[in-house]
Amino acid sequence: MIPSSATTSPAPAMKSSNAGRMETSVRVAYPNSVRHPLLSFAGVSVRHEVPRHDDENVVHYGHPSPDEVSFEVRPGEAVLLLGPSGCGKSTLTLTSNGLIPNVMTAEVTGTVRAAGRPVADHPVPTFAGDVAMVFQDPDAQVVMATVLDEVCFGPENLRLPAGEVLVRAEDALRTVGLWQRRDDDPGRLSGGGRQRLAIACALALRAPLLVLDEPTANLDPVGVEEVHALLRRIVATGERGVLLVEHNLDTAVELVDRVVVLDDRGRLALDGPVRQILTDHADHLLRLGVWLPQATLAALRLRRAGVDLKPLPLTPTELGAALDRCPELPAPSAATDQLSPAGGAQVAVEVSRLTVRRGRVPVLHDIDLVVTAGELVALVGPNGAGKTTLAQAIAGVTRPPRGTVRVAGVDPARIDSRTLAGLVGFVFQNPEHQFVTGRVDDELAHGLRIRKVAEDEVAVRVDDVLGRFGLLELRDRHPFLLSGGQKRRLSVATAIICRPQVLVLDEPTFGQDRQRAAELLNLLGDLHRAGTTVVLVTHDMPLVAEYASRVVAVVDGRVVADASPAELFTDAALLARVGLRPPPVARATGTLVRHTPWRAVTRLAELPSGTTVGAA
Amino acid sequence: MTARVPHRSVGLGTEPDLDGSVLDLRTYNPLVKVLGPIAAMVVAITSRDLLTPALFAAFALALLLGGGRLAARTLGGVLLGVTILVALMAVSFGMWTDPSQVDHTHALLRLGPLTFWSGALETGLATGLRVAAVVLLALLSGLTTHGADLVRSMIAQLRVPYRIGYAGLAALRFVPRFAQELDTIRSAHRVRGLSGGRGPVSVVRRHTGYAIPLLAGGIRHADRVSLSMESRGFGAYPSRTERRHLPFRLRDWALLASLLAGAPLVPLLAHHLTGGTP
Repeated sequence: MIPSSATTSPAPAMKSSNAGRMETSVRVAYPNSVRHPLLSFAGVSVRHEVPRHDDENVVHYGHPSPDEVSFEVRPGEAVLLLGPSGCGKSTLTLTSNGLIPNVMTAEVTGTVRAAGRPVADHPVPTFAGDVAMVFQDPDAQVVMATVLDEVCFGPENLRLPAGEVLVRAEDALRTVGLWQRRDDDPGRLSGGGRQRLAIACALALRAPLLVLDEPTANLDPVGVEEVHALLRRIVATGERGVLLVEHNLDTAVELVDRVVVLDDRGRLALDGPVRQILTDHADHLLRLGVWLPQATLAALRLRRAGVDLKPLPLTPTELGAALDRCPELPAPSAATDQLSPAGGAQVAVEVSRLTVRRGRVPVLHDIDLVVTAGELVALVGPNGAGKTTLAQAIAGVTRPPRGTVRVAGVDPARIDSRTLAGLVGFVFQNPEHQFVTGRVDDELAHGLRIRKVAEDEVAVRVDDVLGRFGLLELRDRHPFLLSGGQKRRLSVATAIICRPQVLVLDEPTFGQDRQRAAELLNLLGDLHRAGTTVVLVTHDMPLVAEYASRVVAVVDGRVVADASPAELFTDAALLARVGLRPPPVARATGTLVRHTPWRAVTRLAELPSGTTVGAA
Repeated sequence: MTARVPHRSVGLGTEPDLDGSVLDLRTYNPLVKVLGPIAAMVVAITSRDLLTPALFAAFALALLLGGGRLAARTLGGVLLGVTILVALMAVSFGMWTDPSQVDHTHALLRLGPLTFWSGALETGLATGLRVAAVVLLALLSGLTTHGADLVRSMIAQLRVPYRIGYAGLAALRFVPRFAQELDTIRSAHRVRGLSGGRGPVSVVRRHTGYAIPLLAGGIRHADRVSLSMESRGFGAYPSRTERRHLPFRLRDWALLASLLAGAPLVPLLAHHLTGGTP
């Protein structure tokens, strides 16, 4: 690793040529961070305010998470922060420049130091030259009207001379590959493009430390790849320390040197080199509820079946190589195949020659699609391909032209929305959008009451669903005060309580970590096994591979592929055409030279395992 | 969000080149274009005749045509929009005019008990023209100015604190986002079976229902934007570098003076043209 002193600043000659207003900004622009770790946490605990409705005048604080965490990030080091959801990973990143507690209120004990200064004692903006932050939502990081202005925003705030601002902006934009688009409105960039812009804004600050909180959680697979490729280049230069929270572990493990693991109560559990921690402590991590790379999960599953891959693989490539080194492998298990509909089953959804225009632009062209009752269909494809439009037309959220859609036996264009909502449930991407009452149980009862279901039956059904979705203790809470995962469960619960024949979901795992996503998909799997037809829009290929019975790929408003996940993920040419990447397991088995039958394996459930323990 | 937020940028899409021709409105200081026409707007609104607002509208349109360097589509939209606006307002405001004030004029149309008097149309037309004049005068800045440039010149020339200026700029980006979010919430509530019910009570109840998720989403978004801004040093110092300097030049003074001096002269001109009869 190159110490940051050599690389944080351009040639000193620039300073003298830009004399005048420079003095005040020298400290921020050229931090004296060499002697200190870039960031240090010493016994840091954070307790958030907890909403309580009993007494409004007393502020309640919850359990600390993180709890007494101490570690350091040194110059040039790339650290991945891991932990089960709710352990305080994001909270910890927000303390790194003092956003907590100086902007967001919370009770912090212990000391966080950035570039040697305690963050609690200085205003957040004064750390801009020391710690650069990139957040999850690319939309919420845009202030200015052009890409160039956006990147200049930070350096301008640091009072750098205009010439220097431009030099840094150009440098940062070229690094992320957006220099050609400098005059565009940031809103015109793709999701991945906007997140690369956010990273450019961070780079332009020339802070020696980059803190990224779930930078790819809101992106489609193409965007995730763009951002990861960029992060790989940034880490490889060794010029910047990186602290990363990331749920796309399969790529993230290749990016970092070191992992720091928090347990479910937010205490520091492990800290060390990435390979050593993930391979030596894999079982420990699983017990903690920490998600592992798919390749590692696959190897652990195989170990239970008596195939011991050593060392444990972390990436698809390593898994593929390790499998090929095995002289013999048991046959992949074909059992527990996804429920495929019995022959002659009813048609749940029939789309024929559906064309949808937005203004003059056609969003969907002549779509034909038949979904049989009992299928779990995943609609996949790049952002803007028309997946959501198709899902909304199927559920009648936006009225399709008459005669183009039949769902649960009716034409959504010819039926009133209340009746339709009883036959087809639709779950929006943001659960909050669908909440219409002030209590969790009322939220569930609402759909039944407007359908004039008798009150005693309402009570029974509400209790049943509360129990199944793990919301019993939260029944008197306001829906807006639930956690992200609870909100998502509630929104699915409100959609299924009326027992619709078809359930349509728009990116239900959007912005959620692996654990929450798997939880939800297990729930959907249960509904699916109970006979509900499920159609979901998603970007999550591992989940598609594990759960879907069928994948429909939409590109530019046309269905370009319609196959089982196994067929799709083993057809490299088709995948490339659709712009998708196979899930890690399929990527590993796709490279196998020796074990031919294994090349068709695309999901964890197909791997032989001694026990019946599933993927999640 | 999967759906792309449609972006209608405020004013011009890109920053205009300030060194262009004197005949190019885009090269003028944004403050002149925003503040200069205010006097004219006041005079136009308070006028009572037809000709004064018509003259103001014509001047504004001439300036836009001559110096606005507008795209053909924008120009077509402006012309069509203003024409429709004037026609609609002439008829609808005409309907609202108290008939006893105008029943000495010429009856244009009789529909049962209703009579549409030419005097009423004239009153409506005057109202329409006044609104059109104000709109066109506002478009002088609206169509030729980059939003960020206006903020920059407010900070440079009016000494507005930059924190306020840039916070306002960030807030402008919320508008299209809010519109889209409201749209989604509306369909989400329809899916929950809340679309039913007519009459003012259910309309009000429905809209309060939209307010909570909209506000919650809006506040969260604003919070996140402010976290991002503070992390990038916004507010670190009492001043910040303005990469783009917006000068206040001779041409700006000249335009400002002629806009201010011209405003009171227009009614005189109208008076002169009509020979003293209103």
